[in-house]
Amino acid sequence: MLTRQISIATPIFLMIFVIQESVISQFRLPGGGFSILMIFALTWAVLSETEVAAVIGFAAGFLMDLSQSASGPFGQWTLIMLMAGYAISYVGYGDDNVRANATGIIFFVVVANLLVEVAYLTSGALLGVASGSFIQVLITLFGMSIWALLVSPILLPIFTRLHALVFDSRSAL
Amino acid sequence: MRNGGRARLLLVILIVTSLFLITLDLRGVKVIDGFKQGSQTVMSPFQRAGSAAFRPVKNFISDVTHLGRTRNQIEKLEAENANLKQRLINRKNADAQLKQLKSILDLAGTAGYKIVNAKVISNGSSQSFSQTITIDSGATAGIKKNMTVLSQSGIAGVVKDVYPTSALIQLASDPSFRIGARVAGSQQIGVLTGRGTSSASLQLLDNSSTVKVGDVLLSRGSIANRPFVPGVPLGYVTGVDNSAGAVAQTATVRYYTNFSTLGVVAVVVGGSESNPGDALVPVKPRVTPIPTVTVFVTPSPSPTK
Repeated sequence: MLTRQISIATPIFLMIFVIQESVISQFRLPGGGFSILMIFALTWAVLSETEVAAVIGFAAGFLMDLSQSASGPFGQWTLIMLMAGYAISYVGYGDDNVRANATGIIFFVVVANLLVEVAYLTSGALLGVASGSFIQVLITLFGMSIWALLVSPILLPIFTRLHALVFDSRSAL
Repeated sequence: MRNGGRARLLLVILIVTSLFLITLDLRGVKVIDGFKQGSQTVMSPFQRAGSAAFRPVKNFISDVTHLGRTRNQIEKLEAENANLKQRLINRKNADAQLKQLKSILDLAGTAGYKIVNAKVISNGSSQSFSQTITIDSGATAGIKKNMTVLSQSGIAGVVKDVYPTSALIQLASDPSFRIGARVAGSQQIGVLTGRGTSSASLQLLDNSSTVKVGDVLLSRGSIANRPFVPGVPLGYVTGVDNSAGAVAQTATVRYYTNFSTLGVVAVVVGGSESNPGDALVPVKPRVTPIPTVTVFVTPSPSPTK
């Protein structure tokens, strides 16, 4: 069962990573754009149990660390996404108001997206990574949240179906 | 309960693994660099393909879908029209790149830099609050880490990482970018720092020296020309902070380079033998006077009855 899940989930993660790096990164979107990998991982985390969500966050963070545009030390995204995955699942899993409701999932993903970026900035500051002027950071955070809000509803049906395919659950919306 | 305990144990293991990775990276262990190098080597062809596929303006995608339909004359003409538009866009794109390339060659030629030209194949994501681009030339073209990167009008950035067929460039607009600068003419020196936008902040090193709006900044250069060759135009002063009590004067500088339109860049693989000095200071556009004609009219005396 576990082997089947890993063998299906791995190419999905890699495919989304390739899309992020070779397609989304081609466009310098206003307001910082969005990370399809982050939205994907957070969506899956909402739909999964805490331990699975932690592994999902770990895998997504590891891939984000592999990205050439990651400015912090290797492992920073891994740590943040792992904790974000666990936290979002801890709060949302088992609550049908969230899991059975597309609006609830989108709300969770957008808020988590913002909190993850804030956590990245905070931990980056502790590790000595420069992040620009305060105003610029605020604009980027705002822009990323808007992008996440716009993109999540479009991607949600695809991501939930993929989740259902891998985990054989009935979470497709 | 047992399940919860297992989840907590897994979480602890994963956190320890993440912290282990961070520690390894901060200690400069080569294995971590290998991970990134490997992933970039694998990603490079995908990025090239993505760059080639998405370069033309996306508005014509719908037009292109009609190219295969030849049901009647109108559709044929529409398809032909779309095709011509596409070619025109590709031509404009090529012309723009040629213009950028020509300007870069002029800049490098004046200073005597030995350069390697490269196309931008990917813009870094802003998710990490960094400003980077990826170019399609790497170690095989002679590019090494910490080399100056030029745009058509001045500094573009510095080579941050090199892979066999691509390289990651840290743009001069990146908040962690620092470069030694000197003011053209007065030769005052300072440190220019990126801000994440098209402007940067200049901190003068000497508390007795001052700058004024419009002053042009050039790179000071580094030992053995790495990471920076001397004399590269950086930008011009747009604002001066004269706040009382400051140790040294600070100023806001606008970069000459437009970072959002970078299509072609050049990596300086060999500096000039002599310092180009102020030779690369951009020439200010001349204002052509418009001749004015003044006509004096003297009224003739009105006829008397």
